[in-house]
Amino acid sequence: MMKQYSDLEFLRLSKWQRFLYRLAAFFCAIPRAIGNFFKNIGGFIKRAAVAVVNEFRDIGVTFVHGDWKTKTSYLVMGFGNLARGQILRGLLFLVFELVFIFYMILAGGYWLSMLPSLGKQGPVEGYDPVLDTYTTIYHDNSFKILLYGVLTIFFIVAFIYTWRLNVKQNKIMEQIIKKGGKLKSDKDDLKSMVDEQFYKTLLALPLTGILIFTVLPIVFMILVAFTNYDGAHNGYQNNLFTWVGLDNFNTMFSWTSNSGGGSQSYSATFGEILSWTLIWAFLATFTNYFLGMFVAMMINKKGIHLKKMWRTILVLTIAIPQFISLLYVSKMFAKNGLINLTLLDWGWIKEPLPFWDDATWARVTVILINIWIGIPHLMLIATGILMNIPADLYESARIDGANAWQQYIKITLPYMLFITGPYLLTSFTGNMNNFNVIYLLTGGGPSNPKASGASGSVGFTDLLITWLFKITTGSDAKYYLASVVGIMVFVVVAVISLVVYNVLPSIKNEEDYQ
Amino acid sequence: MNKTEKRHMGMKALNRVSNGSIYVLLVLISVIWLIPFVFIVFQSFRVESTQQVGYVIPHQWGLQNYINLWNSDFKRWYLNTFIIALASAVLVTIIQLCMSYTLSRFRFKMRGPLMRFMLILGMFPGMLTMIILYRVLADIGLTQANAVPGLILVGFASSGMGYYVSKGFFDTIPKSLDEAARVDGATRLQVLYKIILPLAKPIVIYTVLTAFMGPWGDFVFARYVAMGTSAGYNVAVGMYSWLTADQIFGMYTTFCAGGVIVALPVTILFMCLQKYYVEGVTGGAVKG
Amino acid sequence: MKKFLAILLALMLVFSLAACNNDGEGGGGEGGTELAGTYKITVWCPDAAVDLTKTQIEDFNNSNDMGIKFEATVEPVSEADAANNVINDVNASGDLYFFAQDQLSRLIEAGAVSKLGAGAAKTVTENNDAGTVKGATAGDSLYAYPLTSDNGYFMYYDKSVIPDADVDSLEKLIEDCEKAGKFFAFELENGWYNAGFFFGTGCHSEWTYNDDGTIKNFDDDFNSDNGLIAAKGIYKLVSSTCYVNGSTADQFSSNAAIVVTGTWNYEDIKTALGDNMGVTDLPSYTVDGKEYHIGSFNGCKLLGAKPQSDAKKGAAVNQLALYLTGEKCQQERFNAFSWGPSNLKVQASPEVQANPALAALAKQNAYSVPQGNIPQPWWDICKNITTEVKASDGSDDALKAAIAKYEADNKSSIGDFNQGVLDEAGKSDEEKNAWSVIGAIGGSNWDKDFPMTQDGDIWTSNDSFELEAGAELKCRQGGAWDVSVGAGDGNFVVETAGTYKVQLDTSTNTITLIPA
Repeated sequence: MMKQYSDLEFLRLSKWQRFLYRLAAFFCAIPRAIGNFFKNIGGFIKRAAVAVVNEFRDIGVTFVHGDWKTKTSYLVMGFGNLARGQILRGLLFLVFELVFIFYMILAGGYWLSMLPSLGKQGPVEGYDPVLDTYTTIYHDNSFKILLYGVLTIFFIVAFIYTWRLNVKQNKIMEQIIKKGGKLKSDKDDLKSMVDEQFYKTLLALPLTGILIFTVLPIVFMILVAFTNYDGAHNGYQNNLFTWVGLDNFNTMFSWTSNSGGGSQSYSATFGEILSWTLIWAFLATFTNYFLGMFVAMMINKKGIHLKKMWRTILVLTIAIPQFISLLYVSKMFAKNGLINLTLLDWGWIKEPLPFWDDATWARVTVILINIWIGIPHLMLIATGILMNIPADLYESARIDGANAWQQYIKITLPYMLFITGPYLLTSFTGNMNNFNVIYLLTGGGPSNPKASGASGSVGFTDLLITWLFKITTGSDAKYYLASVVGIMVFVVVAVISLVVYNVLPSIKNEEDYQ
Repeated sequence: MNKTEKRHMGMKALNRVSNGSIYVLLVLISVIWLIPFVFIVFQSFRVESTQQVGYVIPHQWGLQNYINLWNSDFKRWYLNTFIIALASAVLVTIIQLCMSYTLSRFRFKMRGPLMRFMLILGMFPGMLTMIILYRVLADIGLTQANAVPGLILVGFASSGMGYYVSKGFFDTIPKSLDEAARVDGATRLQVLYKIILPLAKPIVIYTVLTAFMGPWGDFVFARYVAMGTSAGYNVAVGMYSWLTADQIFGMYTTFCAGGVIVALPVTILFMCLQKYYVEGVTGGAVKG
Repeated sequence: MKKFLAILLALMLVFSLAACNNDGEGGGGEGGTELAGTYKITVWCPDAAVDLTKTQIEDFNNSNDMGIKFEATVEPVSEADAANNVINDVNASGDLYFFAQDQLSRLIEAGAVSKLGAGAAKTVTENNDAGTVKGATAGDSLYAYPLTSDNGYFMYYDKSVIPDADVDSLEKLIEDCEKAGKFFAFELENGWYNAGFFFGTGCHSEWTYNDDGTIKNFDDDFNSDNGLIAAKGIYKLVSSTCYVNGSTADQFSSNAAIVVTGTWNYEDIKTALGDNMGVTDLPSYTVDGKEYHIGSFNGCKLLGAKPQSDAKKGAAVNQLALYLTGEKCQQERFNAFSWGPSNLKVQASPEVQANPALAALAKQNAYSVPQGNIPQPWWDICKNITTEVKASDGSDDALKAAIAKYEADNKSSIGDFNQGVLDEAGKSDEEKNAWSVIGAIGGSNWDKDFPMTQDGDIWTSNDSFELEAGAELKCRQGGAWDVSVGAGDGNFVVETAGTYKVQLDTSTNTITLIPA
């Protein structure tokens, strides 16, 4: 176990030592945290059980003690509100219940019943002897069953929640009436929507969108990892797909080569791609960070004219869509592209440089071109921040005789690092998933022959995200495998974020910051 | 001449040298940054041939590529993209401002869990959800020829996730302003549009600008949704098809011309609003 | 909270109901003998052929005597995209689409291409060259309509750089290119091209299939002494500074002196090189004093029809497909863009015989191998030979390792492939063995399986049917036609009208009707 510092000792440490100390403390705390986690699970289950029992008791008690209006509300939602004059609330409850019932009868029941099997009858090929024509009659659609099955479960959960809300409201209304209080009128309700309850109004639309277009797809994606959904089982056109349990995770993480022969296993390929992804994200983030800062400082320096022009030239790479600029640049660097031809022409090189043909060359080239894309962003951010650094800090440093380098190390860098800590983290994870730069520049190439057993043809500059894309669009379209990779990307990003959150002070305390 | 003055002179000389070298560096950087764009413009005016060539300056200048552009489906693609960009500029901005303002100003029970939940959601790669979103859109008939409303819907519906930058900006506006207005009897809604919005001009413009620029470069998902129907292409998808093996010979210079036409308005807009972009990005991004 | 929930749920409802409505589509196809009518279809073809295809469909509308009218939308979709799109979503894709032969096995696997009826298959077989017909066939069935038979590659060169005397020797060509600082474009990082080296040394790679679509046999000797010679040949080119991986016409304007590609680039290359264009077969190279001519694949481009639920529409589309791939249309396509015809009559026409690109292709065909139906993973595995050879030092051991890996990868991919075909999700063994009744019965027309219940060797239908005299039916196993029972070779025919249950005795393969 590491040595624990007291507060006083901690304050005596240099910044760098503090950082290392926090890092070490974080990792040392992991075993205990895991222990606590399991301990907490126990507590959580207990608390959850108690809460559920309390809910049921409350529902029962409300029913027994409630008047007839409350009791009717158990069946006809919103009846209590309607009967007591809250027309708006009552109608919303009632309409919701009707919608739910109709939905379950018309569609929901079907989706739900098919969910365990993901469909029973695949397409059937028929032959019309008269017309001498083959036909295909389509039946179940595993994809839709999974999608709408999940949606139906969402809906049911929402219904249970709303029903409970309806019961609770009746209870509260009865209490208010008993005390002789006045119930909120429809007008009050409407008014509160733009006042105390304004946040609900504001969040309604964004959260609905997120639920349907982000949460639902992600849940679906996670579930696909437990099926055999791929090109040969596309769920509708050829074979249905079905649940396969943890098979796909076994495939991904078995260390034996999955395709015999000379190819490496999926796990080895995954490891290779993951390590390049991390190296790439690290280099891409920090080269941009420091070079961007450097450029910003050059432009900001006193006595440099035409500041606006320099900045404008740089930000062109932000303004122009990447598919134009990167595709063009990618062709410039080809073996017989403009750069090689020009250099050959000038006699600077004897043979063309293998920018995209050699693993190391390609990796270095993408990082360099990424600097071209990334510096301007950082330059803009740094410009703003650098102007905010109080000038007297530098003044007093100069009086103490600090040179430019010392000023940078002692003042500029710490200030920047403190303020841009969260930005660095998001930019690191953003680079891990930087699809555009890799896809448009190299398409993942040059290809890695050792990984030929893995799905999609894997190349030396492939990131996890481009690999994932190749798996889904590749010849065998192994969606289930892509899904496993997607989950792994999540795990990696989550672990990195967790570590950084615990080590960087400026992210942790949101409220301090304001 | 006393000692300090001497030191001053030394500093000045040093400054001149360092400023000189900075100018050299800046010119060098500018050249590197400008070269590809200048080359694209040159290619777009080349008329003697339509394919990739090993030189930059056209032997013959002309507008043929722009005329080709006008005669192709490009007009349609451009209009599609413009509609998508405009619609998302409006809708995405509204959604993101609702989201970020709420999370910055209100303290409610679910706020913490909600933010944590969205943080976790953001860690999943969005790439895979493409196939699901395609199916959802196909079910409500918003693919192929109807790809434009489909892309708008997907674009703005999930945009709430990107609230970080503008929330960071709202956090910098003092809360005492709200409270003073509330004491004077203003409702939350009035506080928002009378007090906060005028102060939030940079972040509004920043959000509008980023939302407007996004659709111009979207080709992976847009290609999926258009599914081989030219009427539903945006510029990126359509122009990307010019670079496939069977078309690149005849369409390469047209691609460059298209690139210029796409880049021009976006760049001009960006240049005009750059000031706000910088304010937004520094005010918001770093505080996220 | 409740207001928010209400909005949310209303939205969810809209989505789910939309899904529910869609579920009903694709219902029973109605059979009609008359094809007359107007059909809305979409055709996907390469950008260059859009206008011509529109005209050809118009011609078909005006000339056919069956009363078929097509309201066709012709979309420019490249051959590669077409296959991907159809596999992704068959509902949304073109009714007819142009694609290259190597995609066929993928399309069949994905259920994205419809079989040809017996009559259409006969027409296609009679009118097109045998190699092309083989290319469109998988198992016993024809799956697509041949458009061209020119999907092979040969050599275009710049006469101002390459002396005509050198064109037969790979070594001399490389030397010329290096000396002139020019490039030699050969897309060897693609299995379709690099396999040519192996075929040239007498290697072969053949795939045969069982009736169920699984691979029966992989007969391949790339990993052999001859294969090593081919790998040495590949090394000669890829280790040279003049090698670039490419096959597009614009290589010539990026300093290439030689491009190995096919007829489809003929017009473009003519534009790029003008009078300096040379066209000929691929060169030979020398290993251990012996000369080997580089071989090639010889394949075709095909027109695929997506599966239709409506037999009438399917039959009408079939007529159009036959027209579009018939003599007249192939001739028009040759005239417009020099696409090499697969139609025997057009092939014999003097203009086709005189075309330099097709002449070079014919010359190269002496060394080419007809491209059969190759499983998709093979392409990825084969292209890796080049990657390995390129990264190696050219020693025998390294080259041997590359081809040994090729063989091993292929052997293991067969297991995966067969697994994929066999493992029909949603169909347990029980379902695959189960028998069902199908026919013009119970309001259906050969488009619905009625389940049967087993009792020993006897299977009885769960439903009873009102059958007219003369109605036809069959019993089949696993909802497929692989195993079926009728009467003799044909369908079982009802003799006396009545309401029956259908009974099958699998020990004798006889059908009896039990009055219900």
